[in-house]
Amino acid sequence: MYSAADNRLDLIVDEPQILDRPCPSTRWEQFPYSSIAHHGEACCDVAREWVMSYDFAQLNGADAASGPRWLRQKWKWGPSPWPIHWCEAVERDTLDCGALGCMARELFAERGLQSFPAQFVQQYDEGATSQWLGKWDAEQVSTHWIDEDVIYHEACALVSGDGEVKLFDPSAGWWVNSRQAGGGYGGLLAVRLFDGDGRAWRWGRHTLRGDEWTKIAERP
Amino acid sequence: MKIYVSGLYSGGNPQPGVGIVRSLRQGYPNATLTGVEYSNRVSGIHWQDLDDLWIQRPWDELDLESYGAKVKALLDGGAYWISGSDLEAMWLADLFPDGHRNLLAPPMAAFKRIAKPGVEAHEGLPVAIPTHISTDVSDWDLHAFCRRHNWRVWLKGPYYDAARTPSWDVFEAARAALSKVWSTQKLFLQAHVGGYEESVMLSAYRGELLGAVSMRKRDITPEGKTWAGDVCDVPGDFLDPLRRIVRDLNWTGGGELEMVRDPKGQLWLLEWNPRFPAWVHGATIAGTNLPARLVQEASGILARPERADSEEFTRVVLEVPVRADYPLPPLPEPFAGAIGHSMKHPSGLPALAEQLHKNGRAMMDGEDGSADSGGAPAAVPESFLADLAGVDFEQVQTPEFLFFEKTAEGLFRQASERAHRISTNETQVVNAYSIKTNPDPRLIALARKHGFLAEGISLAEIQAALAVGFRTDECILNGPGKWWPRDMLPDGPLHAVFCDSIADLERTVEAMAAGDLAAHHVGVRIRTPNVTSRFGIPLDSPKTFRKLIDGVKRLPQDSKFGIHFHMASSHIGVAQWWHLFESILKWCRSIETLSGRSIEILDMGGGWFPDDWHDGEEGDFARAVDTVRALLPNVRQIVSEPGKAMAQPSMALAMRVLEIQQHEEDHVEAVVDASIAELPMHFFYPHRMLRRCGETGAWQPLRRGKTHLMGRLCMEHDVVAANVQLPEGTRAGDLIIFCDAGGYDRSMSYVFGRG
Repeated sequence: MYSAADNRLDLIVDEPQILDRPCPSTRWEQFPYSSIAHHGEACCDVAREWVMSYDFAQLNGADAASGPRWLRQKWKWGPSPWPIHWCEAVERDTLDCGALGCMARELFAERGLQSFPAQFVQQYDEGATSQWLGKWDAEQVSTHWIDEDVIYHEACALVSGDGEVKLFDPSAGWWVNSRQAGGGYGGLLAVRLFDGDGRAWRWGRHTLRGDEWTKIAERP
Repeated sequence: MKIYVSGLYSGGNPQPGVGIVRSLRQGYPNATLTGVEYSNRVSGIHWQDLDDLWIQRPWDELDLESYGAKVKALLDGGAYWISGSDLEAMWLADLFPDGHRNLLAPPMAAFKRIAKPGVEAHEGLPVAIPTHISTDVSDWDLHAFCRRHNWRVWLKGPYYDAARTPSWDVFEAARAALSKVWSTQKLFLQAHVGGYEESVMLSAYRGELLGAVSMRKRDITPEGKTWAGDVCDVPGDFLDPLRRIVRDLNWTGGGELEMVRDPKGQLWLLEWNPRFPAWVHGATIAGTNLPARLVQEASGILARPERADSEEFTRVVLEVPVRADYPLPPLPEPFAGAIGHSMKHPSGLPALAEQLHKNGRAMMDGEDGSADSGGAPAAVPESFLADLAGVDFEQVQTPEFLFFEKTAEGLFRQASERAHRISTNETQVVNAYSIKTNPDPRLIALARKHGFLAEGISLAEIQAALAVGFRTDECILNGPGKWWPRDMLPDGPLHAVFCDSIADLERTVEAMAAGDLAAHHVGVRIRTPNVTSRFGIPLDSPKTFRKLIDGVKRLPQDSKFGIHFHMASSHIGVAQWWHLFESILKWCRSIETLSGRSIEILDMGGGWFPDDWHDGEEGDFARAVDTVRALLPNVRQIVSEPGKAMAQPSMALAMRVLEIQQHEEDHVEAVVDASIAELPMHFFYPHRMLRRCGETGAWQPLRRGKTHLMGRLCMEHDVVAANVQLPEGTRAGDLIIFCDAGGYDRSMSYVFGRG
């Protein structure tokens, strides 16, 4: 609160409220989701077309709602610089979750399915995060996604029914388990999906409101 | 309270006995738990929670009658029995047709209603049953089933065992193995369902459902068996009908419904097992002790309260002390010169299956008693018989290929008429005859007569087409060796040339620029990712895709541009072929957009199995034309290559029996004067076979049976058919016709063993 008389800014912190915020780290509360950029030229046209056609070939006639598992086979999860363009992304050996999440989203859209960007906060431990810090630092890319023992992660929410979503994590190649027992190593603490209109979506036994963080489990 | 528990095998594909015992111990710490086994090699007998063991001789040694009397005496004496083995439970149900209050296993009537693969009892549950077919039908029909389901099929035994059979030779080997292990021909093929596996486990006593839980596999063994899972309540829309069904079945004991949930959320019921699953104690850990509930209901003795430690469970490997009174038996010595110990599975269930078969238990084979029938023979088209009627067999020097003129004429005419019907004003559909499938001039001439183009993979093949009367601009040149032999390049312009690689594309561009080659259409053959092939320009990386786009831009502008795609539908399956077709159209659209070259000709092949092509839904082909027009509006001509679909039915191989050899146990080998040199494709697909009756001259279709038809060659693998039944009275000199031999059998046949 700013007091002109005293020329003083008081920060009034309601600690219980902060602790109860759905996103366990303030640094990601307003963090935007990632998008792969396009040069507007043939280089990115060819790259993007290749990704889309390759995905359809990889479906092998399976249902369009199958997760694009091949993304994780083609690219290892790892550091990637931002911003990144389609022509750069396809040439890399590693892509981070933001790039893979964006690709998954675009692929579902190409298949005619509705999907949204999804952001996660996941629990790990400092042993894991220090490893990742070292790896990302070595590549001189941002480590903003790591905060002590929790991490920011991106994925994709696929509309799977009326008011219902499934969460596909293309960095892992799996559908996130909505029955997850709680936090813990690798556990999901919070989710935000961007549907643009703040609608309530069912995800297993959870309700996720669009564009807002939803707490899934307590941070241990 | 004394409870007998069987099914203690605890290997990688464990039985539930140890899990049942652990759960019972949790519910009844003071109960006397006795493990029942039929081999002292089963490691579960050493589990610490067992108070006692009742080890029987293996099933193949056991006298079932006296053993049954002992079991009855135990039950009459107040002991309970929970079976951990399907077959043992089935035998017990047969032993106690009216049930026994202490036998905690389902009654025989219930077994019949949960029999695989149809699982009649599933009606009312929100599940679907995967498409399946009994192996009673002809091999011809089984092959069709496999093609229809893209060779993503499982061959399953009546009780256990499943083998993935991605090709015909694998299927034949798996069928022989499963039939031998389970002493029955009554197997079935089931279409694969992709998705996540989950199960519902239930416990019931005299038709009252005592509880049920749902489990999703969260980790699996290499065999696909549960290693970890999460457990939750069964949803109401499943539980309510399940309760009704359990009542209808008057179910007693444990049970498991094994299912797959597909990406759309549909549940597919694979099987309903008449016992608790091996992960039974996982549910107990999660707070639902179904074995204890079962005993509580049967005995009226309250079990200890259930306790949930976690919603998830996993397995670990544990070493436990071996009981002093059951020392480990020695490991058999490997067979001399062999690798591995070649041991039988210690559960001994195949031996029980054999025992039950020998005893003629109707429950094993259904009520028709047709367990070992060779099934109906494949239907032979009338045109085959008409063609055979015109052959003077006195003049036939076997082995000899017979040309089925009427059949061939009909097939070419039919294909031509269909192409005409599905053509539109904007898009012409025209067939092309693949000369490599059979270069017989009679077939090439028929192709020309019926308006086909000629498709060659070498200049020699193009010359073969020209020799029959084709013009150069009715010929398509394709493949990696298309410029061989170099001096055979015809003078006139070709209808189309498709480049098989970037290097080939460069060469073609140069040849056309130099005036050495002319073609109305020039294009590329593309190789889609995810399908193994050595042909065409690969699209498996953005780099190769970019090279292709750059190459297409360099193709001469005065020729029309086209794309060729070829993949044998008989190999990958029909539905998969249609998916590839759509996939190719997407690639084509991308190539067109990125290169700026309009695609005006689309050449789609091939390798169609004749039935899939000729009897396939015309709507599929018409829809394909519509799809092409929608995605690639510049395409003016679709060249359709049926491949072997034209040639394969058009010839048969006549052979004569040289000798019939009777061996032990009804095993018959008949030596014929043909060989794998004339039937090189014999293990890729079944051939319909006919024997001419020596007395009447009538053609008799051969059923499946136990006779091996051995070729004339001194080659160990010269077996042209491993499972036929020769009609009674067959003798040396009799004529046998292998139909469906006009495709690659004919064109790839070789001279061998003829001096």
